[in-house]
Amino acid sequence: MIMTLIYRAIVLFVLLLVVRCMFREKEFWKQATGALVLIPLILRFLMIK
Amino acid sequence: MSWDINFRGTRLTALLLVLLAGGAAFLGAQQFMVMWEPDRVVPAPGFEEHMLSEWFEGIKDTPADTPVYIQSGENPGGTVLILGGTHPNEPSSALTAVLFLERAQMETGRLIVIPFGNAMAFTHNSPQEASPQKISFRLPDGSSRTFRYGSRATNPIFQWPAPDVYIHPQSGQELAGSEKSNLNRAHPGTPDGALTQRLAYALRQLIIAEKVDLAFDLHEASPEYPVVNAAVAHERSMELTAMVAMELEDIGIPLRIEPSPKNLRGLTHREWGDYTETLPVLMETGNPSQGRLRGRTNEELALTGRDKSYAKASKLGLLFIPYEEDQPLDYRIGRHTQSILTFMEMLGFLDEEKEVLLEGVPGMEDLTEKGFGAWLQPLGS
Repeated sequence: MIMTLIYRAIVLFVLLLVVRCMFREKEFWKQATGALVLIPLILRFLMIK
Repeated sequence: MSWDINFRGTRLTALLLVLLAGGAAFLGAQQFMVMWEPDRVVPAPGFEEHMLSEWFEGIKDTPADTPVYIQSGENPGGTVLILGGTHPNEPSSALTAVLFLERAQMETGRLIVIPFGNAMAFTHNSPQEASPQKISFRLPDGSSRTFRYGSRATNPIFQWPAPDVYIHPQSGQELAGSEKSNLNRAHPGTPDGALTQRLAYALRQLIIAEKVDLAFDLHEASPEYPVVNAAVAHERSMELTAMVAMELEDIGIPLRIEPSPKNLRGLTHREWGDYTETLPVLMETGNPSQGRLRGRTNEELALTGRDKSYAKASKLGLLFIPYEEDQPLDYRIGRHTQSILTFMEMLGFLDEEKEVLLEGVPGMEDLTEKGFGAWLQPLGS
């Protein structure tokens, strides 16, 4: 249980880092790549997949 | 076509893309969560519903807990367990158990049915297999019944991470780490292990407490796998299995008999035999929708087993089942059902006190003629 909470905290941390990168990025396609990375991270954070 | 189009990224485009990713995740989540809804069943009159956690509290309020249905006949006799859904990507397993649950009327002895053995594995598909999420059957009244087509393994949202190597606790046998999520490598189970191991332990406690005389674990296998259209029997189950194979041969249903290997651990046919008093039998039918040679993997393939690659492989003599054009699910359920009925009949010949008699369950002929859907109860009935 504790391990799962730590895991989810790590996922949330990486997810927020990706969002931060997207807002700082100047190239649209790199922002789009970040958006693709977000989808599985959201599903993992919510423990849906 | 060139992709060298340099759009400028701004905070607004970032915000729009984050919202788009959130929307895509929402839609994806809906698809995944469809499989969290349990399949509905309509037990025949006389069945009492229990939960497996009544035999082992260690799985209470966990996703490993699963319904157990028990029906006793008027006359005392033997006790038979039918476990379906050890591997939910092998549909004839759970559906044969559902058939007994919805049709059986016990006269002598007791029947215990667990249709969805590894309920956690029903909540997702195996990644990269392109399996259908559900399969449906039309009933005579025009309604339909739907059942999930799950995965071989426990859903990783319930049990993770997989170790590099899975060491079977009782034997020290080493297997691939992913096998830790495979119920049929977890027997006889441990009371304090991961969920799949605790589930196996709960099943063992049920078999011991209910004094199960004969226990079935139903499976399917790829047509190119040697142990198919077969019964794998513990040495104590071998005499009974041989009697059944001869009876089935007489009615045109050849059943390959495989002795349970003593050094292959964690499987029901070995561990239930070694750790309980029951006679365990694991049975396999041929399922092209889980085989490696298959083409498009969809509901039609799961229902009909029709696949041109398998037809070609059959002509080349590479399969272990008779395969001409198809291998319908109705036939596969028919094989399991007819085999179980014959086992029950033979159990009484072996020991009169363990006789088990029931009515209402169709045999191979009825199932292949009318189809599985014809024998299901309409929902709400």
